[in-house]
Amino acid sequence: MPTPPKGPRLGGGPAHERLMLANLSASLFEHKRITTTVTKAKRLRPFAERMVTFAKRGDLSSRRRVLAQIRDKSVVHELFTDIATAVENREGGYTRITKIGNRKGDNAPMAVIELIMDPVSPKQATVAEAEAAAKSAAPAPVAESADSPESADSGESADSADSAPSAESADETKDEQSEAADAAEAPAAETAETADAEATEAEAADAQAPEAKEDESDGKA
Amino acid sequence: MAVPKRKMSRSNTRSRRSQWKASVPNLVKTVENGRVTYSLPHQAKVVTDSAGTELFLEYKGRKVADV
Repeated sequence: MPTPPKGPRLGGGPAHERLMLANLSASLFEHKRITTTVTKAKRLRPFAERMVTFAKRGDLSSRRRVLAQIRDKSVVHELFTDIATAVENREGGYTRITKIGNRKGDNAPMAVIELIMDPVSPKQATVAEAEAAAKSAAPAPVAESADSPESADSGESADSADSAPSAESADETKDEQSEAADAAEAPAAETAETADAEATEAEAADAQAPEAKEDESDGKA
Repeated sequence: MAVPKRKMSRSNTRSRRSQWKASVPNLVKTVENGRVTYSLPHQAKVVTDSAGTELFLEYKGRKVADV
């Protein structure tokens, strides 16, 4: 629970402030990013994050508590479906405030407040996936050599061991990793192709993708 | 409505206005592409292309807003 704000209220009175916070948060959940004054953004942050916490709980009583503040049902529906699933793994800190300088008319300091919908800490996620991929890729060269002993040189197996975890680390879900553990050859090429769409790992996956395809063709030959 | 009884003298007006002071902004010094730039801290910056056209506002490598 954030501490109660000190100083003057927003608008003309307590009711006006409640309405302004409700309308600002409704706009934030509808557009995911709004430009407002720094004072309003700072006051909006704890209010909006409490609404997101209710949305993550997701039951009927919490939905009614949010509807008591935000009257727009379509916005509340979007909050409970899209936003709640997007910030599922995030433990607080659902909004980001960036100052963008003063407004032209009245020189008021302005800020952009936005919902953080990105997955939590891609670095930690990729480290965990790389460790999981290293475990799953360890039996993979053995399976390749068992399938095609004539083409399984030591150099190729080393290449596939290098390329497979990097291609697998591009994808995010653990389900695909378990599939990769089952059949290490085919998903490596598939995940390398799907990794092109992802912005963070795209370059590394592109660099590794031709090697993975070569390994697959060699393994089948 | 209360109104002033007398016209304010030029001296009093100028004495009052002599207290209007401009404050120096606290800037941070950074080196970007080999050039030293001064900018306001904790605030998004305008990104321009080579022709000097303003593109968007950026803060910590993240696009924040359109100009």
